[in-house]
Amino acid sequence: MSYVVRKASLFIVMSMLLVLVSACGSSSKETSTSETNAAASETRASTETEKTDASAAEANTLETRNIKHVLGELPITGVPNKIVVLEWTYAEDLLALGIQPAGVADIENMKKNVALPIELSADVQDVGTRQEPNLETIAALEPDLIIGVKFRHEAAYDQFNAIAPTLIFDPYPAEGQGDQYQEMVDTFKTIADAAGKSAEAEAVLADLQKSYDDAKSKLAAAGKDGRTFVLSMPWVDQNAVTFRLSTSNGLASKVLEQIGLKNGYQSAQFEAYGFTTSGVEALQSVQDADYINITRETEVADMLGKNAVWTGLTFVKENRLFALGGDAWPYGGPHSAKIIVERAVQALTGQ
Amino acid sequence: MPFVMLAGGIVLLVFLSFISLTQGIAKLSPSTVMQALFAPQDVPEHRFINGVRLPRTVIGLLSGAALAVAGALMQSVTRNPLASETTLGINAGAFLVVVVGTIFWPGLLHQYAFLFAIIGGVAAALAVFGMGGGRKGTPVRIALSGMIVTLVLSSITSALMMLFEQDTQGLFLWGSGSLNQNDWSGVHFAWPWISCGLLAVLFAVRHLDLLAFGDESAQSLGLNSSTIRMFAMGAGIVLACVSVSIVGPIGFIGLLAPHIVKLSGMRRHIWLLPISAVWGAAILVGADTIARGFVNSAIGELPAGAVTAFIGAPWIIWLALKASKHSAGGAIEGRTSMYVGTFSRRLPYWLLVLVSLILLVAVCVTALMSGTLRLSASEVIQTLFGQGTALHTKIIWDLRLPRLLTAAVVGIALAASGSLMQSAVRNPLADPQIVGVSSGAGVGAMLLLIVFPQLPVGWVPVGAFIGGIAAAVIVYSAAWRRGLNPTVLTLVGIAVAASGSALINILVIYAKLTLAPALAWLAGSTYARSWPDFWRVLPFIVILLPIGWWLGRRVDLLAFNDESSKGLGLSVRWTRLLVALLSVLLASAAVAAVGAVGFIGLLAPHAARMLVGSNHRRVLLLSCLLGAILLVAGDWAGRMILSPREIPSGIMVALIGAPYLVFLMVQARSAK
Repeated sequence: MSYVVRKASLFIVMSMLLVLVSACGSSSKETSTSETNAAASETRASTETEKTDASAAEANTLETRNIKHVLGELPITGVPNKIVVLEWTYAEDLLALGIQPAGVADIENMKKNVALPIELSADVQDVGTRQEPNLETIAALEPDLIIGVKFRHEAAYDQFNAIAPTLIFDPYPAEGQGDQYQEMVDTFKTIADAAGKSAEAEAVLADLQKSYDDAKSKLAAAGKDGRTFVLSMPWVDQNAVTFRLSTSNGLASKVLEQIGLKNGYQSAQFEAYGFTTSGVEALQSVQDADYINITRETEVADMLGKNAVWTGLTFVKENRLFALGGDAWPYGGPHSAKIIVERAVQALTGQ
Repeated sequence: MPFVMLAGGIVLLVFLSFISLTQGIAKLSPSTVMQALFAPQDVPEHRFINGVRLPRTVIGLLSGAALAVAGALMQSVTRNPLASETTLGINAGAFLVVVVGTIFWPGLLHQYAFLFAIIGGVAAALAVFGMGGGRKGTPVRIALSGMIVTLVLSSITSALMMLFEQDTQGLFLWGSGSLNQNDWSGVHFAWPWISCGLLAVLFAVRHLDLLAFGDESAQSLGLNSSTIRMFAMGAGIVLACVSVSIVGPIGFIGLLAPHIVKLSGMRRHIWLLPISAVWGAAILVGADTIARGFVNSAIGELPAGAVTAFIGAPWIIWLALKASKHSAGGAIEGRTSMYVGTFSRRLPYWLLVLVSLILLVAVCVTALMSGTLRLSASEVIQTLFGQGTALHTKIIWDLRLPRLLTAAVVGIALAASGSLMQSAVRNPLADPQIVGVSSGAGVGAMLLLIVFPQLPVGWVPVGAFIGGIAAAVIVYSAAWRRGLNPTVLTLVGIAVAASGSALINILVIYAKLTLAPALAWLAGSTYARSWPDFWRVLPFIVILLPIGWWLGRRVDLLAFNDESSKGLGLSVRWTRLLVALLSVLLASAAVAAVGAVGFIGLLAPHAARMLVGSNHRRVLLLSCLLGAILLVAGDWAGRMILSPREIPSGIMVALIGAPYLVFLMVQARSAK
């Protein structure tokens, strides 16, 4: 084959390839959108008919609700049957409402880190990591609703929404734009509304209020009411202990304030996620407070025992160190709040 | 002169150590520091200084000295001014093994962190050395090999940290080099190793001097040069690994300190090593003082490693420009050649293209068939023609197909970009990453996320694209005065890429919880890519590839050295610039779409060149096909292996590529 012929044939092959790829692409775009719409409405219609057959009375009382979330509004009619949850907090919310989700992300680690209100049923499907949940696994579950969190799932929102209507929440309001505790309560109510369980949500929140009242009276009885605390989530950073110190806007700190305790830690500036990451020196300014900590790592205590700054702190000398356990989830929902309060009272009063 | 340097270094060292003790959450006065040191009492300020800050400063001194001497030793042994623990991949290797240890054997790691670090460090150094052609490797080739190995190892590290988010969240700060100490135990562990190491090499200084004359003269003086080389290199690696295991990977000290000393004209090791040690200690303590100074700002405490990279990078740029001036254009790299070797029995070109096409189609069909829901080939075909069930249609048309096509076009873009870049800088190990495209894009994406948190995430690719181009512009404008000399370009590119990575670390630490999304991006992921992503990359390929093709012979001529190319009537500088521009645009578009997927830009064109020789057009087409096959296969494997967990395709490509690195090493060895 001569050079020219070879060159020409090559060029033809390559341009054909380009045309092929672009043709594939352009035709697919049109068909895909129309087909998925058709497909989506079809599946939705079928589940609805099933539901009306099953519980006609209930569906009649539940009209279409407009559910607001951080990326827009979602009309939901009837009760979603299968819900896939991509962040642990919202799985906890569903369980608190008595709903078993169809799928949850990273179940194994959730069980380690989050004390759950009821056992997660064994047939709940693991859908992969929280950061990159498996879209196909989710699609294969044919869910009616997906719940995710903004900082992880915003980028692929359209993909989730194409599988099923998707709610996205943001537990970390920017400075001056809301309160992490209020956001937790509102999101819980919104999820309950979407799931058709508003009455149950009121009951859970009333129960939480009762826990707060009980906690207050127990603290008062032990003479521990109104004490100042510092809430810390420490971990071992290879050669030193690093502390996440809950700031006044932090959810877990707000929960402890519900029972009359006061956060003694002041951060230099606003912390969107509700904690400052710092070294042991930062504890000096709060050494008169009660030290409450949440950690799964046993090495933390061993290492701190050898740290001269730590052993010199007042709360260490006076042994006012209170552990809530590694599965008290400081970023959770009403049930996590209840766990934190109950365990804090238990630790502080020594009962 | 040596005494001036030594005295100056010691004065600086004492001064900086003292300042460092005043820095922290509580700013303490110098008089408090003096009291704490000489008349300690049981008050909080004195506990701060004696309990936490002093061990931190001392470990900074030890590590700085160890890293500087390790760097000086590696430079002497390899006779390569660019050798250091960073450029030889030791930092990245040690960090990866420590991360693996944290995940799988946490108990063992806490006891034997040093052993883990040294295994990783030695393995990485061997890989870089082997790939760079061993002792005969030119400085640029070793530096490039180091960069490639570092990139591969870091992407694996990022992916592991992402997959085991809860286990490894504490490692990020340490992973960027942090001097933070809990008590004196780090110092107690490190000082015997480091002081013995330093003493041992001081006994060998005379022999080390002789290495500079080359093997033959050393042998004629009755010296077994390979024993000395082994000893010095071993000592260097041990010193560097002790440091890594305590304070994490801290870059650039090993380059900065010895070069400052060499600038003052000192070459004899009896002076070079101790003075480097003093200066290295001073630089690291100084960097850590700056890092501690940020503790009360909005950024929070920085890792010292980020600061040293920031100080070190401009230094390397300057060093590269200076080296090229002295050697009048590219002599320090010796003669580079685009020849990468070929298989002895070469297949006809058309057959290779055909085989690759068939392979590509096969990979695509397999990828469309497999997933959580297994489909048969006929179901796939039915669905593609609009005959599938609703669920199949959704899975194929909304999920698998757009993701597959995005992977394919990104693979093509990266491979084409690599092929063009290798021609532009006339080095078969080049990759778009060497002009800083990936790390620049990372900085752009992070800045956008942090500075404009209100912007929807859809804007991230725009930030990445701008960042990638900006990094390339910086590299090119720095190298412009040297006529875009390939060696200068490569070295400046490595420096810019390194400072970009340091900046990314600072930004990730600043952004806190968004760590997981950041890691996903850094590892390079085709997760959840959909039609808009595909449509964004496609125009770049459709427009730029034909231009790259049309350049044809002109690109081939770039392979000759500049003088002969000019003789052939080619405006070398402009052609080189045009080729590089195409490459940078393609890489930026690809990186903006999927994050920092590395390796394809190196591997695909390299393999193509081995299969078809050096004809630009042939290499371009074949590498595009190979690039598409690689990323589609990587994406498919990443979806399947741990399903339903997804492994980022960046790491899969790196894993597929790792054996290729071994192959390159073997080849570099046999080519001698």
